[in-house]
Amino acid sequence: MITLENDRLHFRFPEVHERAECSVSFRRTLRIPDDDTPYPLPPGLGNFPLRHVDDYKSRLPAEWLRRGGVLMPMHQAEAMWISFDSDFSEPAYPFAVKIATGKVCAVSGEGWTNHLNRDPQDYVALPEQPWIDGYCVEKGVIRQFIAMPLGEGYTVEEQITGVAEHGGVQIVAYPMKAERYEAILAEHRARRHIVYEAVQSPPRVQSPSMGLAPGGLMRQEIYDDPYGLDAWDQRHASRCFVTIANSAQWMAMTGEKPPTDPPTAKQYAHAGLPWFDYYDGDAEAVSGAKKFTDLSSVAEIGAQKGETPLHENESLTETRVVRLAPTGPRPVREPGPP
Amino acid sequence: MTQFGRTVRELRERLRQEDARFSLRQVAKRVGIEPAYLSKIERGDVAPPSEATTLRLAEELDADPDWFLALAGKVSSDLQEIIRRRPELFAELIRQLREAPDDAILRVVREVRDGDW
Repeated sequence: MITLENDRLHFRFPEVHERAECSVSFRRTLRIPDDDTPYPLPPGLGNFPLRHVDDYKSRLPAEWLRRGGVLMPMHQAEAMWISFDSDFSEPAYPFAVKIATGKVCAVSGEGWTNHLNRDPQDYVALPEQPWIDGYCVEKGVIRQFIAMPLGEGYTVEEQITGVAEHGGVQIVAYPMKAERYEAILAEHRARRHIVYEAVQSPPRVQSPSMGLAPGGLMRQEIYDDPYGLDAWDQRHASRCFVTIANSAQWMAMTGEKPPTDPPTAKQYAHAGLPWFDYYDGDAEAVSGAKKFTDLSSVAEIGAQKGETPLHENESLTETRVVRLAPTGPRPVREPGPP
Repeated sequence: MTQFGRTVRELRERLRQEDARFSLRQVAKRVGIEPAYLSKIERGDVAPPSEATTLRLAEELDADPDWFLALAGKVSSDLQEIIRRRPELFAELIRQLREAPDDAILRVVREVRDGDW
């Protein structure tokens, strides 16, 4: 089952195991420059609000209601990362989570399927993967998730399938098989070792439906599944469609103000606030998706079309980078004091 | 020592073993209170802090905010607002579910509806 708690999607599988719980949240962040230079990890700037689509039946398109799930506002050209958290940290219950945008998998580049695939891997394994910031274009390199209106040719969905049909984000989570987790738990207890978990939008009227497009490059590894396909209980899955609404229409839809624009990367770096690097020396990273080889970034498509979709896209020369490790307390990507 | 204070100290000390940033002084600074005040909270010399400070402590120590508020003897303002709107209904609901097992309570929790896509 999935519940919505404090702007987080909470996945629970009590029928599998009492500890089979994890949560997924969508974090506001800086848009890194889209200039073909790999940048470190930007900070989290709070959660995007999430609302049940069913709460706004009279104000939403029928298509959005048919898909169910939740609604989230994003400004055009705004960036986002997805955070994965475990409720139990001693040890965390492992999950396989598939993330797609416009029904194109962000890890493999393949179309949506309701099961897990290993070759190429089309999911991330928790708790090893604490977050995902974009599309896996190369081993150790992703292109940042950037919100763009559907139908203008920027989204990954349109670049891969040629159609602007779905938009949004799709998630499905599979818990580890209970007996596999019990084995991990027994080993953990035997060791008696505590493991911590670790733009302003242009003023023109656009489609209220948003999709995600590939932005600038970022150094981030998507880890190879260390448990193997057999570890996941694919008889039990919970999935959710996250419709992305254009922030410009959020007030009309929900009666709430959308979040304000985040600071630009330049403003953030100028304030001396930290960027992040996350390195797990024990984990192997997956290769980039072959389907993403020919993907064009938002800035590249904008240049081809003679448009400027990304304002404030200047390159950054200096960033203060804080290194995060998978050991110790769960790594936190927050600005903190300068 | 209060249960709230004891829990704050235990969580903070456990984190400090792995990371020196979880010293009393540094945690107090990040939460926005004086180290002496955090020390008194941990020892139970003062009542648990305000809702806002309790929530900042929960976030800092990676603890569930509702659990922390409950330990501090508080009900979060959003829950108070929910109860104020329909007090009889929610008071009765909570009483009815007082002894219910977790799975029974989860059956009345609203799920995110999955549709056709």
